[in-house]
Amino acid sequence: MSEEKAAELTALQAALAAEHAAVYGYGVVGGRIREGRRTEAKAAYDGHRARRDALFREVRDLGGKPVAASAAYALPFPVPDSAAAVRLAAELEERVAGVYSDLVRASTGGVRGTAAEALREAAVRAVRWRGGSVPFPGLAERAATPTASATPTA
Amino acid sequence: MPFPPPPRTLTGPRRRSLLASAAGAALLVGCSTDGDDTENTADSPSAAERARARAATDSEALLQHYDAVLAAHPTLTERLEPLRAEVVRHATAFGGSGATPSRTATAAPSASASASAVPATASDALAGLAAAERSLADKRAKALLDVPGELARLLASVAAAGAGHAYLLTEDAK
Repeated sequence: MSEEKAAELTALQAALAAEHAAVYGYGVVGGRIREGRRTEAKAAYDGHRARRDALFREVRDLGGKPVAASAAYALPFPVPDSAAAVRLAAELEERVAGVYSDLVRASTGGVRGTAAEALREAAVRAVRWRGGSVPFPGLAERAATPTASATPTA
Repeated sequence: MPFPPPPRTLTGPRRRSLLASAAGAALLVGCSTDGDDTENTADSPSAAERARARAATDSEALLQHYDAVLAAHPTLTERLEPLRAEVVRHATAFGGSGATPSRTATAAPSASASASAVPATASDALAGLAAAERSLADKRAKALLDVPGELARLLASVAAAGAGHAYLLTEDAK
């Protein structure tokens, strides 16, 4: 396997691991989020499952052994209520955006195009949950200086 | 198993090279020539440089659109300024100046020429801006397929931010 393909496979596995975690995380979100936003959370959950399945196939097609989901994940903070569930959903999308931006860099062609699409999807969902924008979704090194719009408005 | 750490904890040299590239076009060319991204001829420094310059110009044109809408509909200022500020950062990240003539020349932008093309109602003006954000995000989604990895990553992020802007401009207008 070429160096490029190996790097692409590593990034694909990282994306797959993040999608496993997002699927788990949205399970928690769905249990806590208020009725009015449950449909939105379900749609996100389904979206991440679909991405996860596609990444699983992609890794396998490249000759890799797809990373498995863990039985459970430690949440980044307690999620006792709907407000925390919304914060968790935003956090899940930001993490997913981060791995997809790395996959964009590590890949070419169709894989890169799909990764960019997934990054866009995650960024828009994060905006919905957060109620505001960030200038560079998925770019951790530029996240240190958020703009005023990063303040939740909803 | 612990929740995977946020990717922000991973700061490899390639991330640093992106930071360096934000400082100027010359450095970005430097990154592309030291072997990071030489998969094919489309990734030659000059092609990457042209794509980067085009991305900066696109962000500046979008800024002018924001300024025209702001000039015609000052009541939208509070809504639009945070988004406009991000577009400035996008232009700068691509090596552009992040400035538009109407902003730098006068404190109160006249922008009469472009303002004449702005819809008369605020909601139509917002819809037009949302469409501009969306179509630029689509354009960048295509452009990123033909550039070196680091620039592709930046283009993808900025495209994603633009799609988020389009969402905010559309949703809030309802």
